[in-house]
This record gives sequence, structure tokens and C-alpha cells, in this order.
Amino acid sequence: MSDKNIIQITNLTKIYGDGVLIKALDNINLTIERGEFMAIVGPSGSGKSTLLNMIGILDTPTHGTIILDGVDITQASEKKRSKMRNQKLGFIFQYHHLLPDFNAAENVMMPLLINGIKPANARAKAHKMLEEVGLSERISHRPRQLSGGENQRVAIARALANSPDIVIGDELTGNLDSKTSEKIYELLRKLNKEHNQTFILVTHDERMAEKTERIIRLVDGKITEDKTT
Amino acid sequence: MFEINIALRHIKARHRQTTFSVIAVALSVAIIIVSISMLTGFRENIIETTVENQAHITVSPKENEDYISLYHGLEGFIRKQEGVVAVSSYYQGDAAIQHRHNVEGAAFSGVRPMDEDLVLNVKEDLVAGEFESISMAGNRIILGSKLAEKLDVGIDDTVTLSFPGSEPADFKITGILRTGTSADETLAYANLERVQDFYGKSGIVTGVGIRVSDIYTAERLAKRIDRETGYDAESWMEQSSEILNLLNTQRQFVVIFYLMIFAISGFSIANILTMIVMEKVGEIGMLLAMGTSRKSILVIFLLEAGILGITGVTIGCVLGYVSCILLVSYTIPVPPEMYFGLDHLPIRIAPENFLIAGAFSMIINIIAGIHPARRASKLDPVEAIHSV
Repeated sequence: MSDKNIIQITNLTKIYGDGVLIKALDNINLTIERGEFMAIVGPSGSGKSTLLNMIGILDTPTHGTIILDGVDITQASEKKRSKMRNQKLGFIFQYHHLLPDFNAAENVMMPLLINGIKPANARAKAHKMLEEVGLSERISHRPRQLSGGENQRVAIARALANSPDIVIGDELTGNLDSKTSEKIYELLRKLNKEHNQTFILVTHDERMAEKTERIIRLVDGKITEDKTT
Repeated sequence: MFEINIALRHIKARHRQTTFSVIAVALSVAIIIVSISMLTGFRENIIETTVENQAHITVSPKENEDYISLYHGLEGFIRKQEGVVAVSSYYQGDAAIQHRHNVEGAAFSGVRPMDEDLVLNVKEDLVAGEFESISMAGNRIILGSKLAEKLDVGIDDTVTLSFPGSEPADFKITGILRTGTSADETLAYANLERVQDFYGKSGIVTGVGIRVSDIYTAERLAKRIDRETGYDAESWMEQSSEILNLLNTQRQFVVIFYLMIFAISGFSIANILTMIVMEKVGEIGMLLAMGTSRKSILVIFLLEAGILGITGVTIGCVLGYVSCILLVSYTIPVPPEMYFGLDHLPIRIAPENFLIAGAFSMIINIIAGIHPARRASKLDPVEAIHSV
């Protein structure tokens, strides 16, 4: 794998079920370069979230390998997988999944604290990240005091806090109105250009997908299209 | 350590429910501290009363013999032994004791009052009269308080003692004793030589009582006397083995009772933690996605059990201490017949009781936290995140 490739997926297959077997991913081969801003699209049940969970080291494949920044994550220990999730990956989900008992700054600090960063340094970084997503006035607000769009922006700041190589978004605007969704995409694009991090966004919204540089289309667990926009 | 931050926030956010769990733990610890303090006080009091009301070692006649003949020589041997404080030979027999129409059975003991007092501290129990009075000339007797009540007699009254084969004799009452035990119903003391004469057994005794400086050496000394003289020597532990066994049995039952109380408080901890885990499935999933190890998730929930436990234990210890102080201030009367002669509930406040109750409670609370904590740490992150 060349240094410019951050992810190399080879013959990736995921089969679910004990009795009735469902092939969620069928022999996927995919290479993703550093700094790419790309979307994975496809109808419901096409396997796009499954692929994202595999890249996010949240799930393990039935067959195949995923090399993430030179490490075969399908063979890595549980401890190594946790460490890589913390340092190499940032997650943004449809529901923001912010910790409700912590304010915006504390939520953004969390991946840094998990990484063993000192609280004072983590706080300074969290404030900087919240400033970048336009929430410097909301650092002490708890999730229930913020709007849906604001919460999603806190989730973005949290995903970027540890300066991960890859940011994964799973239907991250699925819960937002179109205007807010547009703003979130613009923000992600801006951050992608500034930080040169790889953004992999799963969406069923074709209009949003068109805003990315590359679209991977999945149907029945297979890549049917890989186009550069 | 981010784990403690999360644990504290979970508890703080659910302060109403967690307060109830803390109260349950605090009450269980307080109840057990008061109970242990009562039992320790009761046990120590029983042992003290038992030791005080009997000779530390009692020497009885050899096997197949009814009396000790050469008791002066035996006394001399015993006095030479290390740790022996006092020796008192006595003759004890049964007798009927009569005053007007009232007749009662008595354990009629002949003693040298000075020696007997050194062995049994008899004078402390004297409620009327003088103990040494029985060594004066003439027939003088000291009775147990309940025996005197039943005979309806007091100081200076005369009672008649009789025994088959002996000449009935009149004795003047010169003292009343109250030991607080059942002995008060039968006790009758007179001078040793007079009692020997009454039974026609001059120069012999039925036993020798010994007091030692350290009660826990009594067993060893009794064995030596037994071995070297051939007389049957028994320590207070052997003589009171039934009471000691009863106290030990009681302790075992009480431990089961304590475990049940602790289990109830443990369930309240398990209950609140299970509730938090169920509420926080999505959050746990996100923590796992952010790279939190499964071990850290386990630690978060065990910390919650520990924080709730330690808060409850601290409050419980304070509550238990205050309750013990209050119980010590207000004497609670109990019927002496049911409590081995004790007329009030004794309480002993000892630091080790707080330590035992607190430590056991903490162990059970942590055990109670293991199941929900393990459940949280084993969640599948994908399922957990999408459960919301």
C-alpha cells in the first residue's frame, strides 16, 4: 500500500445470520486516499453502513482484509482496535450521541481524555474545535440546551478533536432539515480542506453525495459504481 | 482519569434514585453496627459475669471419690503455681432450709470467708450484712436474695437447716447476697468448719476454687493440676462451655442475618446500576466508538457501585455511631431470666465493628455492581449506537 492510500480493502465479505445467511458485503475491493472527501450511497440494505462499521473498526468481516494506515485491523487485538478507533478515527452518527450529562466542551474533550491528554490541554483543544465549528458561544451548554444542528456541530468537533486520519459520517444529516444539512456539509468540506483528513460519508441523499469528490455506489453488498465528481 | 468523571456524572444526573440506594446501604450498615455492638457487649458481659460468678478453676474429688480429704496439702500445691491469686476450699451439700412454714432447697456451702471473697469477690454482691460475719462464733448464715425472698426472711431472722442423717440446726441470717444469676435462688453460705460439722464430715471438702491473674491461662493451669495431683480440675471455659457454645452458635446465625441485610442493600445498588446501563446503551456505544476500552467501561460502572457504596458506608457508620451513643445513654431494661442475669442491654462501641460492617458492605456492593458493569462492557458497539 502506497503512503498516499489511507485505506486498502481487499475481498471484504460480511455474512450475517445463523440459519438464513445474509450477505451484507460481497467481495468488496476499495482503495481510499488520504484527504479524500467521499460518499458511499445506495438503497436501504445495500451494505453501506456495514462497510462503514468495518472501516470504523466497530465490526469484523467474515472474510477479507482492511489495511488502515498500514495496519491490518482485521487481525488486530481488541486493545489495538480501541486505540486505533481513538487516534485514527472520528465518528459522526445520525443521532449526535453526545453525552447528555456533559456540556459541549466536555463532550469534545472526551476522545482527548480517553487518549490520555491532560485535562487542561484537552480543554484548550476542545475550545479551539468548537470555535472552528462556530460554537464558541455555546461551550458550556449541555446537549438538551442546543438545537439539532448545533448538537451535530458539537459531534463534528468531537470527531475531529484527536486530529484523526479518517472521519466517518453515517447519515449524519438524516435528522436535520435541508438548510441545516447544507450548512453541515459546507462545514465538513471546509474542515476537510483545512485539515486534509479523509471524510467518508454514508448517505442516501443523492443531492448531498453530489457535493463530495467521489461517490461509491453499493447495491446488494457490491460496488456498482465508483465515480469522481 | 475520565472514567471517574463519567461515573460521577451518571450518579449526579440521577441523584433521586441514587439517594435511595445510598440510604439503603447506610441503613444496612447502621443496623449492623448497632447489632454487632449489642452482641459484642452482650458477649463480653456474659463472659465477665460468668468469670466473676465462678472460680476460674474448680478442683473436684478424684474419680470414684466423693470428697477431697487432704485438702490443706492440695491448697499448698496450688498456691505455689504461677499466676494463682487465691485458693478457697469449700464443702457444699444440699439442705432443706425452713423459716416458719416456708421450706426451700439450698446449696449449702461452707467456706472461709476471706479466701472465698478473694476467689469470687463475694463482698461486691452483698446487699446487706457482713460476709466475714459467718466466721464469728455461733451459727451464722448468708443467703441469696431470691432464697431470702421466698423464705420471707431478712437480717437477724433465724432459719433451720436440715439434711437426712444430720441434726437440724438453727442459723441466724447475717447477710444477703445478690449475684444477678440463678444462684441467688439457692445460695447459702456458712463457715467451713460449721458446715463440715453439720454434715458430720470434719477435715474434708467437696471442692477447691482457684482465682488466677489471667483468665485465659486457666485452661492450661487446670490441666497441670489435673495431671500432677490426680484431682479433677476444670477451667471456667470447660464449666461454661454450654454458654460459650451458645454464644458461638448465635454468632453464626447472626452472620447469616447480616448477609441477608447486606444482600438487600446490594440489590438496590445492582438495581440502580442496571437502570443506568439500560438508559446509557447508546452512550456506551459511542464511548466504545471513541476508543474507550471495554475495561474502562467496566471500571466506570464498578466505580459507580464503589462511589454509591462508600457514600452509604460513611453515612451508615456515622448513623450507627450516633445510634450506639444514644442507646448507651438510654439504658434499655431486659428481663434478667432471659439474658443470663443481665438486666440491661450492654453496648460496646469498638472500631473493629465499624471496619467489619463497612468492609463487608463494600465487598457486597462491588459484587452487586459486577453484573451490570460486565453487561455494559460486553455491549456490541454497532448495536448499542443504533439502539437509540
